[in-house]
Amino acid sequence: MDDIGSGPMVVACIRITDLRPQIEPLSGTVVREPWSTGLSPADAAALEYSFRIAEAWSGHVVVITAAPSSADAVLRDARALGATVLRIAGGSPSSDQAYVDELGSDERGMAGMIVAALAPLGRPSLVVCGDRSSDRGTGALPAFLAHELGAAQALGLVAITTTDQESMVVAERRLDGGWRERLHVPCPAVCSVEGAGVRLRRASLTATLAAQRTEIPQVTAAGGPGTTRGADPVGPAEVVVGPVRPFRPRTRAVPAPDSDDPRLRLLTLTGALVAHDPPTVVGPIDAAGAADALLAFLIRHGYLDTEPVGEEAATEVEW
Amino acid sequence: MDKGDMVPTPGVSSDTPGFDAVVVGAGPAGSAAALALARAGRSVVLVERGPFPGSKNVYGGVVYGRVLDEVVPEWWNEVPVERWVVRRSTMMMTGSQSVSVDYRSAAWGEVPYNGMTTLRSRFDNWLATKAVEAGAQLVTSTVATGLLRDAHGRIVGVRTDRDRGELRANVVVACDGVNSFLAKEAGLMPPAEASHHTLGVKEVLDLPGHVIDERFGLRRSEGVDIEMLGCTRGIPGGGFLYTNSDTVSLGVVLSLPHLAEAKVRPEELIADLKNHPSVAPYLRGATLREYAAHLIPEGGYDTMPTMVTDGMLVAGDAAAMTLAAGLWLEGVNFAIGSGLAAGRAVDRAIAAGDCSAKGLASYRSDLEGQFVLADHKRFRKAPALVLSERIQQRYPGLICDLVDGMFTVTNPVPKPGGVRLTRSVAAKHGVKLRQLAADTVRALKVFG
Ligand SMILES: Cc1cc2nc3c(=O)[nH]c(=O)nc-3n(C[C@H](O)[C@H](O)[C@H](O)COP(=O)(O)OP(=O)(O)OC[C@H]3O[C@@H](n4cnc5c(N)ncnc54)[C@H](O)[C@@H]3O)c2cc1C
Repeated sequence: MDDIGSGPMVVACIRITDLRPQIEPLSGTVVREPWSTGLSPADAAALEYSFRIAEAWSGHVVVITAAPSSADAVLRDARALGATVLRIAGGSPSSDQAYVDELGSDERGMAGMIVAALAPLGRPSLVVCGDRSSDRGTGALPAFLAHELGAAQALGLVAITTTDQESMVVAERRLDGGWRERLHVPCPAVCSVEGAGVRLRRASLTATLAAQRTEIPQVTAAGGPGTTRGADPVGPAEVVVGPVRPFRPRTRAVPAPDSDDPRLRLLTLTGALVAHDPPTVVGPIDAAGAADALLAFLIRHGYLDTEPVGEEAATEVEW
Repeated sequence: MDKGDMVPTPGVSSDTPGFDAVVVGAGPAGSAAALALARAGRSVVLVERGPFPGSKNVYGGVVYGRVLDEVVPEWWNEVPVERWVVRRSTMMMTGSQSVSVDYRSAAWGEVPYNGMTTLRSRFDNWLATKAVEAGAQLVTSTVATGLLRDAHGRIVGVRTDRDRGELRANVVVACDGVNSFLAKEAGLMPPAEASHHTLGVKEVLDLPGHVIDERFGLRRSEGVDIEMLGCTRGIPGGGFLYTNSDTVSLGVVLSLPHLAEAKVRPEELIADLKNHPSVAPYLRGATLREYAAHLIPEGGYDTMPTMVTDGMLVAGDAAAMTLAAGLWLEGVNFAIGSGLAAGRAVDRAIAAGDCSAKGLASYRSDLEGQFVLADHKRFRKAPALVLSERIQQRYPGLICDLVDGMFTVTNPVPKPGGVRLTRSVAAKHGVKLRQLAADTVRALKVFG
């Protein structure tokens, strides 16, 4: 096992899998190749957030995955970035394929296994996962992990930032209509993030070369649901959701068609025989111009009012 | 090279990791070079820009494995083969006709085999793994962005796009493929010339294995290689079709300047080929899996760069080593052959304590003594002949019409005599018998 760093422990719990599996068209069999193994955008984002938060807290990152040895190259990259890494291995290398098949099938059991493997390293302050793995993932694992750890949970996030206190992170989650809700997440917590908004840092060449010569520590799969549940009888502290207005598009009054003939009324309502706007080429224009043209189109056709939308709006929400 | 370019690299500190050799590019040339060096006990790092070896690489589909005999004993037991090529067909075509010369050999389907279809993501990775197992260090997702030089302008390593990304080495082996930026930066490459390059464009089409077997007359591990001439709307080049386990690779290779002049999209030419009456029945029901394009250095012997300089040598496509001599399109075996020779030359130079151009000069003599430069030298006039106007635009139609004239039954009109038929068909295609004879002699000289 690597030397564990000091300070709060941030765990990146990631799924390392073949990013370009071949699907046998007739049988649907998934053929995975060890060399195209990598991190999905969501798992890469989870790793990057783990580093950012650990840096802010002067803590350390532990990267854990349940995977066969084909995951070691990715774990070495994580180690080159300064993380402690740990792989939960299957029974024997000859049954790698069976192990990978099994991994996606019992997320609750997997959560138990992960928590058991982490136990000797201490209690994590924060666990960050991808929102779902690209290999049959349902996105349920983080919730099971939170249950096993007795931690708070905030799932499907687009951003996580630290606050003044180490006992709290602030997270953002998408809502309809370009709105976002802001969550105050008490730690210990399990968060899952979308593969968006951040790019995983790259290790230096010297660290990459050094990490290549090292062995990846592994533990064999053990544990199971409920075997390691954190001993917090009160249960996790609650996530506080910041007040936001839900997106309610304004109703548009459509005048009743002025005819006794149902066919004509239907035609008027559907506009089936009315000439439509022909497709318009507005370019070439720059990105800002293109955005303006699109917004103007949506406003012209009644899909938008002129209020600002998206992130701009989120910042205007009163807390 | 301009002297002004040869300034020492600022900030190359002594704690920059040092190796006997840095090999840039984990294609067949780079992995072979790294393998030879690692087996010789040299410290070597293999730098690849893709996330894994082969991830960036494109080729038609056939590797001729004899060169691997030297690399892995009984390699055929472990190489990631799709099919062993037992049928090789050369097809001359017009828009609606084709004449094929079809060769089939049972021996090619048995140990020690001749050619195999294999996918580059698997094959390149297999070869790179051999280098790693021998002790080479492979660093992926890393681009070599330039050369490091010492105060005398001698190359002493490469710079990469990673933080603290300098690698010092006694020798840099540039295996970065066609249009090598490192060879250019080192001043080894003559200015790029479009006419020395072709563009290869290919589709990989899904087709169940048993359907491939039935349509191409194959048994499970057997494969076919079809080379085509006359299928590129007069743009100098050709087509190819190779069978893999459950896919078919189909593509065209096109002269760059002529393609630009013709203002045709290469995918239109592939669509033509897929619809050709001699090809379409093979592909009925096939679905597109992958589309790719890549340059090929087809200029041959006379367009190769200088291969060594102080502290650096060039191998594989970076040294224009694809043999594109009409009936042959071989690059991977030439890349492996040159990579192995490069590794051996670097080992000798390090042992002798002289990594200057002089110390590395045995590389070229080694290549000349084996197939890599011997074949290139023998076929040095082939690219010009094969891409010439008559071969490309007139002879495929002429041959098809000649065969048509021989086998179309014209009763009650009597069959034409051979000479009259040849004369009339040649005239139809604007070829004089004198030119036909001259081209035959030229071809004999080029390939003889
Ligand atoms: C369409 C087509 C069909 C072909 N058909 C055949 C065929 O059927 N049989 C055959 O034998 N040959 C064929 N060839 C030729 C064959 O592909 C090449 O000759 C062969 O791949 C050359 O190998 P190489 O190692 O020199 O270069 P490449 O295979 O091009 O490998 C170069 C490697 O260097 C890496 N690289 C490049 N720049 C950098 C950098 N700056 N830093 C780090 N890494 C870098 C690349 O990612 C790549 O992995 C074909 C080529 C094409 C395009």
